[in-house]
Amino acid sequence: YLNTSYIKIAEKVTQMMEWASKRSVIRMNGDKFRRFVKAPPRNYSMVIMFTALQPQRQCGVCRQADEEFQVLANSWRYSSAFTNKVFFASVDFDEGSDVFQMLNMNSAPTFLHFPSKGKPRRSDTYELQVRGFAAEQLARWVADRTDVQIRVIRPPNYAGPLLLGFLLAVIGGLAYLRRHNLEFLFNKNVWAFSALCFVLIMTSGQMWNHIRGPPYAHKNPSTGQVSYIHGSSQAQFVAETHIVLLFNAAVTMGMVLLCEAATSDMDIGKRKIMCVAGIGLVMLFFSWLLSIFRAKYHGYPYRWRQTNLYLFILFYLL
Amino acid sequence: MAEHHAASDGKHKASANAGGSVHGNSRPGAAGGGGGGGGGKGGLSGGLTQPAGWQSLLSFSILFLACLAGFSSRLFAVIRFESIIHEFDPWFNYRSTHHLTTNGFFEFLNWFDERAWYPLGRIVGGTVYPGLMVTAGLIHYVLNLLHITVHIRDVCVFLAPVFSGLTAISTFLLTRELWNQGAGLLAACFIAIVPGYISRSVAGSFDNEGIAIFALQFTYYLWVKSVKTGSVFWTIGCCLSYFYMVSAWGGYVFIINLIPLHVFVLLLMQRYSRRVYIAYSTFYIVGLILSMQIPFVGFQPIRTSEHMAAAGVFALLQAYAFLQYLKDRLTRQEFQTLFFLGVSLAAGVVFLTVIYLTYTGIYAKIHIPIIASVSEHQPTTWVSFFFDLHILVCTFPAGLWFCIKNINDERVFVALYAISAVYFAGVMVRLMLTLTPVVCMLSAVAFSSVFEHYMGDDTKREKPPAEDSSDEDDKRNSGNLYDKAGKVRKHVSEQEKAEEGLGPNVKSIVTMLMLMLLMMFAVHCTWVTSNAYSSPSVVLASYNHDGTRNILDDFREAYYWLRQNTDEHARVMSWWDYGYQIAGMANRTTLVDNNTWNNSHIALVGKAMSSNESAAYQIMRSLDVDYVLIIFGGVIGYSGDDINKFLWMVRIAEGEHPKDIRESDYFTPQGEFRVDKAGSPTLLNCLMYKMSYYRFGEMQLDFRTPPGFDRTRNAEIGNKDIKFKHLEEAFTSEHWLVRIYKVKNLDNREPLDHKLRSVVPKQKYTSKKVAGHILFCCFNQK
Repeated sequence: YLNTSYIKIAEKVTQMMEWASKRSVIRMNGDKFRRFVKAPPRNYSMVIMFTALQPQRQCGVCRQADEEFQVLANSWRYSSAFTNKVFFASVDFDEGSDVFQMLNMNSAPTFLHFPSKGKPRRSDTYELQVRGFAAEQLARWVADRTDVQIRVIRPPNYAGPLLLGFLLAVIGGLAYLRRHNLEFLFNKNVWAFSALCFVLIMTSGQMWNHIRGPPYAHKNPSTGQVSYIHGSSQAQFVAETHIVLLFNAAVTMGMVLLCEAATSDMDIGKRKIMCVAGIGLVMLFFSWLLSIFRAKYHGYPYRWRQTNLYLFILFYLL
Repeated sequence: MAEHHAASDGKHKASANAGGSVHGNSRPGAAGGGGGGGGGKGGLSGGLTQPAGWQSLLSFSILFLACLAGFSSRLFAVIRFESIIHEFDPWFNYRSTHHLTTNGFFEFLNWFDERAWYPLGRIVGGTVYPGLMVTAGLIHYVLNLLHITVHIRDVCVFLAPVFSGLTAISTFLLTRELWNQGAGLLAACFIAIVPGYISRSVAGSFDNEGIAIFALQFTYYLWVKSVKTGSVFWTIGCCLSYFYMVSAWGGYVFIINLIPLHVFVLLLMQRYSRRVYIAYSTFYIVGLILSMQIPFVGFQPIRTSEHMAAAGVFALLQAYAFLQYLKDRLTRQEFQTLFFLGVSLAAGVVFLTVIYLTYTGIYAKIHIPIIASVSEHQPTTWVSFFFDLHILVCTFPAGLWFCIKNINDERVFVALYAISAVYFAGVMVRLMLTLTPVVCMLSAVAFSSVFEHYMGDDTKREKPPAEDSSDEDDKRNSGNLYDKAGKVRKHVSEQEKAEEGLGPNVKSIVTMLMLMLLMMFAVHCTWVTSNAYSSPSVVLASYNHDGTRNILDDFREAYYWLRQNTDEHARVMSWWDYGYQIAGMANRTTLVDNNTWNNSHIALVGKAMSSNESAAYQIMRSLDVDYVLIIFGGVIGYSGDDINKFLWMVRIAEGEHPKDIRESDYFTPQGEFRVDKAGSPTLLNCLMYKMSYYRFGEMQLDFRTPPGFDRTRNAEIGNKDIKFKHLEEAFTSEHWLVRIYKVKNLDNREPLDHKLRSVVPKQKYTSKKVAGHILFCCFNQK
């Protein structure tokens, strides 16, 4: 008996190694699952992702989880410590729905660990809700269950440097094409405008968006109402920051217009229009900015209207 | 409040008056040389006329009022509570200052603090920026020399407000160099009351930033001055100020990168001049040597990557100057070949270095911490920008626009300052502090340019342009003799044309609008200072429905209990947040504190807090802990307590001891962190939980809730029957905010039964062995 089980194990391991050498995540259907995972004589651990990758299932999370799982499996497959102790496999719902039924599973993706000895326990089910599906977290879980340490190596992302290189090439090319006319480099308006853009982008919290990745706006599922302003002062939506950027820019433009109206040498009618536009921009957009701030920062006591009152009183006094 | 209005009223008048005489200076012509000394100064040197005298008096009084407003609006906390040091880090600074004043400077530099990080200790002298302590100590010394006897605590409490006044003055000087005197006064008023700066400099917040912003602004002022004049005198002044900055705050790195950047951009813009060469060469060498005198900085300026830009620009500047020299000596052809040879050689060297660095991985090592720090720290929402800067955040881009449109050497500097500071402030909310001064300066530029054109009525304005043009004429004749007079005349006619436009109605509306904005700003600043930035956090206050105030003084109560009732050498274990306060107020030895230099030590404390009682007892015995102090907010609903921080303790402990502590054990199967019956059993039996909720199950806070109802987490606790074996409750403060437990000594041996009498020696032997074994284990784990 012992002999036969040894032979069986050896057969299985060679088969698994052959598959693993082809793909780091072995794809399994019902038959394979029963033979190589369920059937008893086995000396290797299996980490299996149950998923639904077919397009008609419309499982976006599955695809992201699959990518992370591939990263993990590749890190293991191509690491120097690779042995036949652990194999990574996946079962797709459309190829092995009987496995899903057998394990009484009704959600995907799910990560299960089948230890080399004994039955899976509670902790052999990966807590996807708590830990997320980042490859590093998965690696920690695998290390915890199987004592196999996997250093996650992500394939380097060439998109960023490539894009930067492309951008630089375009700029360089443009500069080369216009090499006889490099006036635009000495144009103060261009520089001032780009500096202003940068400053406005920063002060409207785009960096926060970049790091935290908030949604564009929030849609209330029950009423269908879309809110563009986040209710708390600790967070913000992308739409909101765009609005604020616009308002800040308008106030800045108002200030610049006011100055231009007084100094430029255009005719008096145009300058008066510029001046009035400047007043309007500063007043209107700053008051709107203030009201958004009031909506977010609860308990803020000051509003534009009450100061407007003072304005009129002062104006009549003079 | 009164001061604000006085100040803001005053500043408008000033800019109205200053506006007229200063007007010509904002034209690009001032770029050429020493002519940009500020219109106000020009008025003074012309100084025969009455207005100049009035002007300087007015400027002086406005500056004085700005300092006064800045000082007094920082006193909310002192008036509401008392003259007390705030928060956490200031307590350490206070303790070191106290050490400095009692034991002298050299003793302070050599100070090895054996009361922190037990049993490791901490070298204090070499791991702090001593500028703050030395400043406070010096003021205290001078005052005592004059027989004005103040306690060192009062010096520490009022240091930041006093320095805010100095910041206002240096901001005035810097803005005057950049634009004109009117803008300088406005900037001084802004910086005196802007919340972005007040947040770090209220009375009692005795921290590095309080004095560092003054040093920053003053260094920049002297730098601009030395670039303008090219004199070694100003540059040496700049170096000394830089030295003070290095001794005060780690943020000096901002200066040592911004100034080289300024020089680099000047080179790119072909604005190289001998003045820049003198200023930067002197600054780099003297500043480098001075900065290396601070023990904590040491050899960093020639070793670490953040200082390399300065060295690179220094080399570049030398090369550029050398090329300029060669250009004068060689023919054009020779020069060109030499130039190309040099450039290709330099490019080759750079290319090879980059390849080498990439290959050895140094490049990544240098750059990864920067990337990591970006994603780790708190980025800034637009709300905090608006909250801290109000109207200034939307007007300062206008100031930046004017500066770039009328560019000259020093305006290049302020533009770079604005752009880099706004980037850092966007990445990290703490760095709003470095953005605030430049925002104040540029907003002042924007406001003052508007006021300049719209204030004062037409009859009054007819005089200044004439005076201005003659003034300008003099200047030009002395400076640039070849400049055509026609240009000036054209300017005058332009002015006159501007006069006839825009009637008085429009002008007064604009003025009124600007005044309104500034008034709202002043009111906003006061409100924010009073409501958001004036809480000492050592003393808490709660308000009843009728507006009366309850003071919760639990922290000091507990620390004073420790001071009075425990052995002088008792070791107190707590989470690191309270380390400085325990050392400062209770004067007891702590295991970990806010100087988080040793992560494994912190993880050991975290492990003790998150283990069960017997495992924790082993750790505490091995660390010689006598008392454990925790913060518990469940009775009064204080959200910053240890249970809310508990997951961090678990995470840090897990990082070092992944076999013993697992974060997932502290969650329910649904992934929630709950303290009620549904919570995970590991959580319900860990030391922190037991210490927080010991005897809490018997306590009914009000009739609507069951006994043991935690107000912070709004839940009835899950484990009401808590008993300790190795600990005992020593002290609980009035509102249960601070709880202190005593760690019992090892138990005596069990009294022996008659039956076992025959095997006494054996029994004794085994028990000893067991005890020894336990200790051995603990050391092993360490």
